[in-house]
Amino acid sequence: MGLVGNILYYSIRPAELRSIIQWKVWHNPVHERNETDETETQKACFKFLDLTSRSFSAVIKELHPELLLPTTVFYLVLRGLDTIEDDTSIPLETKEPLLRNFKDILDQDGWTFDGNRPEEKDRELLVQFHNVVTEFKILKPAYQAIIKDITDKMGNGMADYVRKAALEDASVKSVDEYDLYCYYVAGLVGEGCTRLFVEAEFGNPALLKRPRLHKSMGLFLQKTNIIRDVREDNDDNRRFWPKAIWSKHVDNFDDLFKPEYREAALNCNSEMILNALEHVEDCLFYLAGLREQSVFNFCAIPQAMAIATLELCFRNPAMFERNIKITKGDACQLMMESTQNLRILCDVFRRYIRKIHKKNTPKDPNFLKISIVCGKVEKFIETIFPSQKAEDAKRRIEGAQTEEEAAKARQDAETRKDVFVMMALMGVFAFFITAIMVGIAWALGARFDLAWQELKRGNFSPQKPVKHSEL
Amino acid sequence: MARSSTPFQRVLISGGSGFVGAATARAFAEKHPECAITIIDLQPPGPTHVVPDSASFIRIDITNADETSKVLQQVRPDVVVHTAGIVPSLAERFGRRLKKHVWRVNVEGTRNMLEAAKGSGVDAFVYTSTCCVVTDDMRMPYPNIDEGWPTSPTSLIYGESKAAAEALVIQQSSDEMRTCAIRPSVLCGPGDYQLVPSIHACIAKRETPFVIGTGLNLWDVTYVTNIADAHVLGAENLMTSRTAAGEAFFIQNNEPITFRDFCLAIWAHFGHFPSFELHIPEGLAYLAGMVSEALTWISGGAATLSRGSVRDACAIRYANGEKARLILGYEARVGIEEGIRLSCEDYARRLGIELPSSSKQKEE
Repeated sequence: MGLVGNILYYSIRPAELRSIIQWKVWHNPVHERNETDETETQKACFKFLDLTSRSFSAVIKELHPELLLPTTVFYLVLRGLDTIEDDTSIPLETKEPLLRNFKDILDQDGWTFDGNRPEEKDRELLVQFHNVVTEFKILKPAYQAIIKDITDKMGNGMADYVRKAALEDASVKSVDEYDLYCYYVAGLVGEGCTRLFVEAEFGNPALLKRPRLHKSMGLFLQKTNIIRDVREDNDDNRRFWPKAIWSKHVDNFDDLFKPEYREAALNCNSEMILNALEHVEDCLFYLAGLREQSVFNFCAIPQAMAIATLELCFRNPAMFERNIKITKGDACQLMMESTQNLRILCDVFRRYIRKIHKKNTPKDPNFLKISIVCGKVEKFIETIFPSQKAEDAKRRIEGAQTEEEAAKARQDAETRKDVFVMMALMGVFAFFITAIMVGIAWALGARFDLAWQELKRGNFSPQKPVKHSEL
Repeated sequence: MARSSTPFQRVLISGGSGFVGAATARAFAEKHPECAITIIDLQPPGPTHVVPDSASFIRIDITNADETSKVLQQVRPDVVVHTAGIVPSLAERFGRRLKKHVWRVNVEGTRNMLEAAKGSGVDAFVYTSTCCVVTDDMRMPYPNIDEGWPTSPTSLIYGESKAAAEALVIQQSSDEMRTCAIRPSVLCGPGDYQLVPSIHACIAKRETPFVIGTGLNLWDVTYVTNIADAHVLGAENLMTSRTAAGEAFFIQNNEPITFRDFCLAIWAHFGHFPSFELHIPEGLAYLAGMVSEALTWISGGAATLSRGSVRDACAIRYANGEKARLILGYEARVGIEEGIRLSCEDYARRLGIELPSSSKQKEE
């Protein structure tokens, strides 16, 4: 969109423009990074953070100083793994051991890798990976152990997947396989982050006792991306939607993109979204366990974006034609709302859940299931933030009033009195006008005495004129 | 449910020929096949609400205290499940015309049952209450309520009478005879003569496109066999750990959905999809209800559209099922989606019509 396009766009959507301005002008990071004291390797790490991720670099860089570098290094390590896995030009014999042993690379000073094909977009990160290794080794040992463990698990998970893809068919078949795939690429990140937060005492240790919660945090984000990118992925010959779901709606995966199967594709999409929405309760529960503002923001922003993206995709045929994205204005508003507290974030979730609910149609085979999952989210939000308590209800039943209610009642009574006075005034006014009009008529010779006599005789209408034709 | 060793030998179910009573009799027979079931009711069991073959039947009127106590002396059950009661029809729900009758059956009947049970050495008394003991007071919304919410002494004749009866039951709990109250939400299931039929009737009346209020208000609905399970769990608890003694429990499917979606799902089973949707603000509908009430007041009879029914349609009513889960170990065995399907199939059979094939495909 050019400048003119932008002006036109925002002139009819002033609310979006307002959100963008509000975010750009009034948003203050919880923790400002101090760039002057940074070493060369740190600078390099932040440079790669910016290069490899647009969405995450902003939230990572606003993290509490205690977690700033551990999270940055963690992210870059995983990005490194990803870059090796994604590169189809690396043969299996090289790739598999690299992935499986990546955790040991973290201890090897000066390790770099230039085996990526030139067009691989994050190639440079691995070429200069020694920066990441240097920073990794000066982290607190506890953080190092966490990062290493997750790298180990993810590297092996990826290696299994790559092996399967090379030797047999790696397409996602069952819903369990789909969950497992999402767990390796995103659920593990949730686990690692949670362990970092708890280690830094920014998260409730109970979060680690319920692994389902942080797993859901990752899965919800990953599933949302998989749903939104279905068209783009398919164009790149990648399919992540599990066969167990799509085969219920179409016979061939490619049919999803054909106009004649649009209805089936939308129903299939609904089922995918339903599957993702099952995680929402866990995600909100998880966010309730965070104790530090910048950590909350770090976790909450992507979640809010995800629910908005799901709403955008729900029953939207455009997503089978092109890549769709939430608007910039909405994104800014979401960022503002998800950098405050859980209550406001819950309002966001409720808003989008209701929008999804509104688009739900009884013709969809999963109509009721979607309705039920929406109800569950609302019920859960009501559990953490009750809109009315049993004590309030008791007071109302007993007829007792709080100070506030009594004040409101007094105010209402006053308003009522005002209304009565107004109506009385109007009545008096009407009476005088009538009197004046009757008086004028009388003065001009109206015979009210005759009219009254006729009325008494029961003659309510004027006498009919004589019809001459009868003569 | 796993079969367990039976903690009781004889169960007596009042109102056992009815919707909830018959389902409860079936649940007892399924889980405790060796226990003897006696059904007492005004009417013998019929084909609509099937009861187990093994159950014996005694015809009595529980508003007659002497008769009731004689029957209990004769049967000498360990467990009494008191499901008998009157639910006024929708048309009478908001009026006070039937007040005397409803109170006589629901409150006096319960008092007679309690006295008779105490006199014949009953150990456990499970009472079928209703969520209406709380929610019939329509002055406020009821989101995610728990058992700490107050029952209302002045609501609708049904809620009032059930609240008074429930209070009697809870007060009577003692070491000799433990009592508890089960509070089901709105019910659906085979043999339901109120909910699914009246929603289905909207299709013929061409009322389906109209949405009163926001259409976002959540409701609890319970499939009837789930409520039957809760009665069995209540009886088991009172005979074993006794942690439920003197307690009331909200029981529902724990899957609150909007009232609108519940209706849409039923219509969809019958192959009907509203072609458009028209939202009527609650205030306007309330006014229309008032007019309709005034007209029927003049013409006599009971109004179908009334202020009460408008408020009912817009009400938020769902409970938090934690207490029943923790104390009774209750969980809905039949999900609401399946429950709605089974209810619609049963109603279609009663109507003698075939459901469109699209809803059958969903069964797989």
